[in-house]
Amino acid sequence: MSEPASEPLALSDALRFEWVRIRTLRSTYWLIGAALLLNVVIALIAAYGTLNQSHAPEFVGAIVTGGGPFVPIPLAAVFLAAIGVFATGHEYRYGTIQPALTALPRRSALLAAKLVVPAAVALVVAVVSMAVNAAIVLAVWGELPGLTEWPVDETLSGYLVLVVLWTVLGAALAQLFRGVPSALVLLLAVPLLVEQLLVQLSYVDQFAWLGPALKYLPFMAGQHLLDLGGTSDVELFGRWASGGVFAVFVAVVLAAAWTTFSRRDA
Amino acid sequence: MISVTALHKRYGDKIAVDDLSFEVRPGTVTGFLGPNGAGKSTTMRLMLDLDHGSGQTLFDGRRFATIRHPMREIGAVLEAKAFHPTRTARNHLRMLAAGSGIPAARADEVLDLVGLTDVKQRKPKGFSLGMAQRLGLAQALLGDPGTLILDEPANGLDPHGIHWLRDVLRSLAAEGRTVLVSSHLLSEMSLMADELVVIGRGRMIYHGDVDGFVRRFTDSTVLVRSPHADRLAALLHGSVERLADGALRVSGTDAGTIGELAYRNDIMLTELATQTASLESAFITATEADEEYVGGAA
Repeated sequence: MSEPASEPLALSDALRFEWVRIRTLRSTYWLIGAALLLNVVIALIAAYGTLNQSHAPEFVGAIVTGGGPFVPIPLAAVFLAAIGVFATGHEYRYGTIQPALTALPRRSALLAAKLVVPAAVALVVAVVSMAVNAAIVLAVWGELPGLTEWPVDETLSGYLVLVVLWTVLGAALAQLFRGVPSALVLLLAVPLLVEQLLVQLSYVDQFAWLGPALKYLPFMAGQHLLDLGGTSDVELFGRWASGGVFAVFVAVVLAAAWTTFSRRDA
Repeated sequence: MISVTALHKRYGDKIAVDDLSFEVRPGTVTGFLGPNGAGKSTTMRLMLDLDHGSGQTLFDGRRFATIRHPMREIGAVLEAKAFHPTRTARNHLRMLAAGSGIPAARADEVLDLVGLTDVKQRKPKGFSLGMAQRLGLAQALLGDPGTLILDEPANGLDPHGIHWLRDVLRSLAAEGRTVLVSSHLLSEMSLMADELVVIGRGRMIYHGDVDGFVRRFTDSTVLVRSPHADRLAALLHGSVERLADGALRVSGTDAGTIGELAYRNDIMLTELATQTASLESAFITATEADEEYVGGAA
């Protein structure tokens, strides 16, 4: 007869389960490869495209983070968020939630592992990606101006936070919707369509009242973690406060997912 | 030992499991029967804390959720194809082993046991239902558990596979394990199960041994052949049916009484045989009032 369950022991079991789960899926490697390759392509194009221009630190920040604040979403982070989506969504898509819960009946521990492991993988991939992109800039330009100075240093930290938040959000959304497609659609449609539409509407006189509320749009606020000091038409909080807005959004989605996972039938 | 006490589950206005209590003893194969929609799968899900309801299930005195490594004590498979289609059979088991404190090498052992060694490195998306059932059984046996809970494990197996499954489950029970298995294959269940739990519309219909179930829900008859069938029929008090070949089918009287009656009246008998009804006919009798999904006549 095995020993009684406890939360710490259950979490360590769940982490081992999730680590093997994520390692034994081919899609994990495809998504990591796609994220790294995309950032490499961006770095090569941007580094060669600006080779004969002044090598501003802002360019370094943008290139190393795969586009920085100049893209509406952190492109590589979308692939890493998909790893999070698959961590929870696949369990329902393929019915594996049943064997998972018969092996690990502590639902909180299982969900925690499904957040921690993909987030840790995404963090490592983001660090590697930044290192590779920095090496590309150094190789093409022969220098890395301002890499460790403000604002680039904070942008790099912000990028890591953003990637982790996107990955956790992906897992939380797929858990909340108990499937993959809804989570992926929401991850792309809200920042690229809904939020962009609201920004455009705020420029119309009848909807000018939207302007002060735009700082609370979660994905736009999250993207401000990559701020490189440029000007913006949209009034936002500072870098870390904006990051806080996105983090609160992720926390709310996660709380909803956690609650429903605890209360629903598997 | 599995002790189920007052399990109850409701979906809106519909009661799926209604105050169900029973015990499953070690050393036996207990069949779990009921018509479609009777609540068998829901009961099993409640037992394993997959669904939320009221009541309690104890496995050797402990609730499922309080056991750190349940796969080492309770092997359960409720759906045949509950695996990722591109994760190999071996990795599927290794993943579950990793979360259950089971050595990874055990995956190969159970795959060998269920006859899937040759395909252990293959993606299971191409597995037949029978192969998926074997993988499910391997999953259930991964932790060498003392208790097995299997929902329709014979579905999709060919006759050899069913025979093999019966032998495996009976030998596991003979080792002292507790085996609860649901099935629609009543002929198979009559060969496999020692005890039955029969439910209808979530309620208990019968809990006991197989012979007792058949006796309780069917009338046994006695087949009699005699050159003097007409005389014998006139003497018999029970219900007598004359068959096309001249034999008599007698109900309400046992073979001994008929034999004695014939002897006392100098009536020669050429055949006297008690005919026991099948598990299937007993099942149909027991559950016809609780059949939820009934088709019309063609």
